[in-house]
Amino acid sequence: MKELTQKQVFDYLFNNGTENFIGVPDSTMKHFIDQGFKKNKILITTREDEAIGIAVGMTLSQSSSLVFMQNAGFANSLSTITSLVQLYKIPMIFLIGWRGFLKNDAPEHTKIGKIQPKLLQALSLQSKIINEKNWKASCDWALKLIKEKKPCTLILKRDFID
Amino acid sequence: MIRKEAISVIVEKMSNQPIISANGFISRDLFDTCDRNSNFYMIGSMGLASSIGLGVALKSTKKKIFVFDGDGNILMNLGSLITIGIIKPKNLVHVIFDNSSHESTGGQPTATNKIQLSKIAKSANYKVFQVKTKNQLVRVLQKIKLIPGPIMIIVKIEKGGVISKRINIEPSKIKNRFMNSLTK
Repeated sequence: MKELTQKQVFDYLFNNGTENFIGVPDSTMKHFIDQGFKKNKILITTREDEAIGIAVGMTLSQSSSLVFMQNAGFANSLSTITSLVQLYKIPMIFLIGWRGFLKNDAPEHTKIGKIQPKLLQALSLQSKIINEKNWKASCDWALKLIKEKKPCTLILKRDFID
Repeated sequence: MIRKEAISVIVEKMSNQPIISANGFISRDLFDTCDRNSNFYMIGSMGLASSIGLGVALKSTKKKIFVFDGDGNILMNLGSLITIGIIKPKNLVHVIFDNSSHESTGGQPTATNKIQLSKIAKSANYKVFQVKTKNQLVRVLQKIKLIPGPIMIIVKIEKGGVISKRINIEPSKIKNRFMNSLTK
């Protein structure tokens, strides 16, 4: 996703009630995170499950949160999602960078990238892949689910190789 | 001192402030000793009580947040000390009930009798207190009233004791009543 669009996605979510942006960085969403730093709204954690824990605490205090991570970190977080987020029905948006989407991405991403959609399905975690065209509608969809007190996922494809 | 005794000393001395309690026997002991709306029993997600506590502390700044953690739990999420240490929430009290064992899973050893958790916490900007007896615990609880956090109280406890009953409240109810308690 282009730099300008990533910044627009951040601004849109921020301006529509998402107060906290917590996670572990992923180059796929570098510009999204940079925009958050400019607004002093980013908290970088040591691991993804830690970020989810902090977001849960903030949500318990009525402050809406987004957790960002790479799909490798999403795999690290499966148990936290089932035994904390879903068990207690805590609303939050996950923004996940999808490495391994391109076939010629780095080898460590191949396997987890391939099973990423199946993992989401197995968890019954609702998700949408966001792109240049649908980002606003996808953000609206996620914000609506948060109002309904449901967790959801926005996926950002890694569509370039560096 | 066993864990349940330490827990009852703390809940007796603190006012009705929120507690986030770690999974396993810690939450069960708290539930059995003093169930109240401002207890958040984290029944899964081992390791994350301090992270949840940090999130609550940052957004409920008028409350003093207590985390009831175990040695096994905090060793699973030492990164949490780093994040807490850079943010330095003034209203966070992190209690570690340390019996150097994973008691809930059968008493397997943890590393806290070989590695000093207090030193790790100190280098992560915590103010650290260690206690072994009830009297020491009471004194420290009095002392920390005047000290800004993050504070860690390492309570050395003995293994064993009565096994408390399981928590029989639905997780979404635990959440809802905890959230309501934060607004009061």
